[in-house]
Amino acid sequence: MRSRSNLFLIAILALISTPLVIMYVFQLIDSVSRPALGGFLPQTWELGNWRFLWETIDSARPSIWRVTFNTFVFAASTALLVCAFSITAAYALSRLNFPARRFFLAGLIMLHAFPTITLIIAIFIVLQFLGLYDSLIGVILVKAALELPFGIWIMKGFYDSVPWEIEMAGVQDGASRFRVWRELILPQVKPGLAALLIFSFLAGWSEFILPLVLAPGADAQVLATYMNAVIADDMRPDYGLFKAIGVFYALPVIAVYLLFQKQLMNIYGGGTKG
Amino acid sequence: MNKQKLLGAAFISPALIAVIVFFLVPVILTVVFSFTNMSTSTGILGGEYQLTQSDLDDLSGAGVSDEAITLLQGAGYAMTDESLTAFETEFGKTRADELAQKFPDATFDSRRDMERALKELRTDPLRSTRERKAAAELFRQSILGQRYETKDDFANAVSALNISAADTQPLTEVAYTGWTFTTQNFELLWQLPATWRYAINTVIYVSLTLVFNVTLGLFLALSTFFLPDRIAQTFRTIWFLPRILPPVLYVMMWQWMTWDQGFISSLLAPLGVDRIDWMRHSAVHGWTVLVLINGFVGASLGMILFSSSLRAIPQTQFYAAQVDGAGRWQQIRYVILPQMRWPILFITSYQTLSLLTSFEYILLSTDGGPGRQTEVWALAAYHTALSNYGGNLEYGLGAAYALALVIIGIILSAIYLRFFNFRELVAKPRIEQ
Repeated sequence: MRSRSNLFLIAILALISTPLVIMYVFQLIDSVSRPALGGFLPQTWELGNWRFLWETIDSARPSIWRVTFNTFVFAASTALLVCAFSITAAYALSRLNFPARRFFLAGLIMLHAFPTITLIIAIFIVLQFLGLYDSLIGVILVKAALELPFGIWIMKGFYDSVPWEIEMAGVQDGASRFRVWRELILPQVKPGLAALLIFSFLAGWSEFILPLVLAPGADAQVLATYMNAVIADDMRPDYGLFKAIGVFYALPVIAVYLLFQKQLMNIYGGGTKG
Repeated sequence: MNKQKLLGAAFISPALIAVIVFFLVPVILTVVFSFTNMSTSTGILGGEYQLTQSDLDDLSGAGVSDEAITLLQGAGYAMTDESLTAFETEFGKTRADELAQKFPDATFDSRRDMERALKELRTDPLRSTRERKAAAELFRQSILGQRYETKDDFANAVSALNISAADTQPLTEVAYTGWTFTTQNFELLWQLPATWRYAINTVIYVSLTLVFNVTLGLFLALSTFFLPDRIAQTFRTIWFLPRILPPVLYVMMWQWMTWDQGFISSLLAPLGVDRIDWMRHSAVHGWTVLVLINGFVGASLGMILFSSSLRAIPQTQFYAAQVDGAGRWQQIRYVILPQMRWPILFITSYQTLSLLTSFEYILLSTDGGPGRQTEVWALAAYHTALSNYGGNLEYGLGAAYALALVIIGIILSAIYLRFFNFRELVAKPRIEQ
């Protein structure tokens, strides 16, 4: 009885998962093959789909390596900034008693729910005022700031789970609060910090709207805007090329996912952004 | 105690500065900008003062007297140093010198007089009428087309033409090229039929996607909960991927599925179905694909959150239910669903807010098409202020669109703060080593 209803469940699940599975499978197949005209089954092997790696696909486009480097710098810098700001701010909110702490906590919860994308028009103009428009630094700062409430929220959760006794013991032995934080508490939240780092890196790696709006020039292009531009420019879509670029773009994401699956599942479960 | 306060302030200030610059200031600026006519043509910093030929038509509407308009149009012709220099570069030094010698500091009331003077050139005459016309134009005294950096410069230039002070004020307003404060954005929003179209589209989009998301997310979480671990894990991975794959890539896969030479068309072609663009063929096609694209990602989030809440239900409750002879349906109905009330409420409200305001997947897929039939409010704000084919980006109007969303965002997040105890809703993110 149980196994029969399980089989039924699996059948339904398999059915509704079919579109996704087809997309994943053909994503890989089409990146190295060419289908017959008007069909979808692979006909010939085609490594030319990967030509973007060794030549610029058309004259106006920057080299893929330059773009990949930009994407890495963007994702890594935002991740580091988010982590650096979050570990201090979250500790203060979790453990330190300072004026208006309740106010900040309420503000954090509101910011955590607030849809930041609605501010993009104003941020666009703020960056122009600051002279950071169309530069990688500008987008990095914006992305880091927008991810910050989420980062603080997650880190606060980790700090909350560290037993007070550890801190008490440190303070009793005469260490300053700063030293207690650095030498006793930080090692306790390391796994959380690692998870936040990975999560923010992935968020930066995939980000599309912010670079599109705030840094549209060729110098600051990232893989998301690069791929979008290649797709948008083609009069007749060359899905072999698009899919090869897609596989190239997604490889680090898949690698990170396979390596840190457990941490990510937890943080995606706890976090709600995106 | 004081030291601790200092530490607290030092620890929180970097985050606080970031929040002020990129949250608080933009919220305030969205309000401010929505009351301006800021656009690409006005620039975002201050403007200059310049009257152009085409402005003249608008002047009487702006309350400038006809007298002043005539003065602006024909302020006569004069042998000034600037006009002679301009004449020299176009027509040569000999002619310019002769002209300066024959008519020192002369002024002419009409173009005919000016052209007559130009006919007087003897050493190197201007023979064709066309040349003389062009040359006469160089001597015309007019403030049209001139740029003045400050208001005073402009006012001086205007009063030099003997235009009365009463006319100067409206003239200055027309001449200013920078942005000004206005309420016309909101009047426009109120009047445009498109506004209502976008609002209705948004409601359709949010409600359809929401129902799809929550139902599918709940189904995925429940079904994988009852299945053996390995199979459950496979399905969870399949459904987790849309969430971590970059949006550009994820939507490209859907484009490949739906374009007229794509997977669906190729699959159905042997059955005699016409090849169509399954994403943009009609509004119904557009909405269906949009709901699926967003729904799969949303269901992914729902699945993760619901799964973690399911695992938090003590196993003993299921044992007890089984002992009492409850089947799977009854377990779901009487044990699971009552305990899932809060997570479902949370996902629903969270996704309402996020669907209302996010436009990334729509921008990448239908981009509001076909026509403007799948254009939602947030996308309209983006199109108005940040990307349109006309090229004149209307920041002010776009900010007015965005302001509606900002206000809804603030209200809803304040309600969440008031009613939801976030800490209880979301399982504490804790990662065991």
